[in-house]
Amino acid sequence: MSKLRETRGQKIIGALEKNAVPILFGIICLIGIPFSGYSLGYLGQEIIVRISRNSFLIIALLVPIMAGMGLNFGMTLGAMAGQIGLIFMVDWGIVGIPGMILAMIISTPISAFLGWMCGKILNMAKGREMVTSYIIGFFINGVYQLIVLYGMGSVIPIKNTSLVLPRGYGIRNTVNLITIRKALDNLLAIRFLGISIPFATLLIIALLCIFIVWFRRTKLGQDMRAVGQDMEVARAAGIRVEHTRIVSVVISTILAGYGMILYLQNMGTLNTYNSHMQIGMFSIAALLVGGASVARASIGNVFLGVSLFHLMFVVSPPAGKRIIGDAQLGEYFRVFVSYGVITIALVLYEIRKRRKAARGGLLLAQDQVDSGEVDA
Amino acid sequence: MNIHFTRRNLFQLFAAILIILIAVLMFIIGKQHALLLDNKTVEDSGTTYQAFSIVEVQVNKEPEIELAARDRDRVDVMGQRHRITVTYTDRSFEEHVFEKKFSVPMSYAMVLISIPALVGGADESVWLQEYIPPTAAVAPVSQEPEIVSDELIPTDF
Repeated sequence: MSKLRETRGQKIIGALEKNAVPILFGIICLIGIPFSGYSLGYLGQEIIVRISRNSFLIIALLVPIMAGMGLNFGMTLGAMAGQIGLIFMVDWGIVGIPGMILAMIISTPISAFLGWMCGKILNMAKGREMVTSYIIGFFINGVYQLIVLYGMGSVIPIKNTSLVLPRGYGIRNTVNLITIRKALDNLLAIRFLGISIPFATLLIIALLCIFIVWFRRTKLGQDMRAVGQDMEVARAAGIRVEHTRIVSVVISTILAGYGMILYLQNMGTLNTYNSHMQIGMFSIAALLVGGASVARASIGNVFLGVSLFHLMFVVSPPAGKRIIGDAQLGEYFRVFVSYGVITIALVLYEIRKRRKAARGGLLLAQDQVDSGEVDA
Repeated sequence: MNIHFTRRNLFQLFAAILIILIAVLMFIIGKQHALLLDNKTVEDSGTTYQAFSIVEVQVNKEPEIELAARDRDRVDVMGQRHRITVTYTDRSFEEHVFEKKFSVPMSYAMVLISIPALVGGADESVWLQEYIPPTAAVAPVSQEPEIVSDELIPTDF
């Protein structure tokens, strides 16, 4: 197939358009850094902390994108499972790395079940996966609240009195995770140029990246890519489309559960009824800021996104205070940007899809002119 | 009814058993126990174990704790097997170091270790006892810890 002839200007505009979101964020950060008054060392430390804290969760989003299911807003299901694992871990008094591993083991069957259920529902809503998974997140949040607020301490035994509400059942609004706080981050922490690097956490993230790269080359990974490109063609090729889609959501949900445990070990506090709701939005916004789209995302997008998005997070309140005189405006600005970037990315995705179809038409016309089938 | 076990089923079963075993292992090695180190005079079946006027106690590689007579301090440890090192000075100002390895029963969340009875060679049931805090001490905390988050959604409207 020949290439569409474009002027240099058209090519530059095309490239700018393709990377519009990362470029926009890069510019915002570059403007904000001098106004924030933070040193580069401080910003470097913050970025390293936030990469180690958030990357695992964001990488969990890559598998459903590979299978053509868009951004998995249902990752909050996995986050809830991770939180349930942590609540049991605290109740049983298991601390440190063993506590984290136990929480992960507890979260796995819960995540797998929720992921399977979510996948089943998403198969019934093909083409509307993102909004459906978003609503499933709200639905399961209701079930989670029912279990945690009413079931724990009454039906499910909880012995630790510091976990239970004064009325005798239900988990408190905040759970202190001091017993696992930075357990992994401090395991092999090294100092480089005055910056503390949580080597063990980064090593686990690197292993997950290697797993994703390897997974793409496996039979299942290839099936997912085929399903992502065209479900009907994949089905004709003998791929179990529905099953493959469910597996992708299950893997993503389980990884999200593990990611949530890593995230909360860094934070040291579990906000029982809110943490999981925030995390879906965080992760998706960060991935989109990295230049990913609904249909295509890579590991590079994860790290670029988490760096730019969280740099903006760190910089915007003090920059807002310096520029406008009110830090609260900076806070609102970053909230506005977080939701705004998701909107922009979704709109750009639709525009690009239409442009691609139009380019296909132009290319066909160009080929016909070149072959002399029609006059120019 | 015929049940067929394929190779795949066997691997799945093996994986499930392995994961359960890892969970049990993590439960055992990760269990936290609170050790209350007690330097008070103890009496047991006619024998008196006199409190030290001053004693240094170290559990595993935790920082050393100095206890005066009638003092009690707390150390949180992970797992069941531990080593306690007691350094004390006798009446002739000679320094002694006493070291002992011991296990904390799995079901005990908090144990009371009597240092004088331990050094005096009393039976383990005398120097290591389960401690159940009085109800008032475990009443629900009125103040919840501060929520730490990245505050994507402003909460202070």
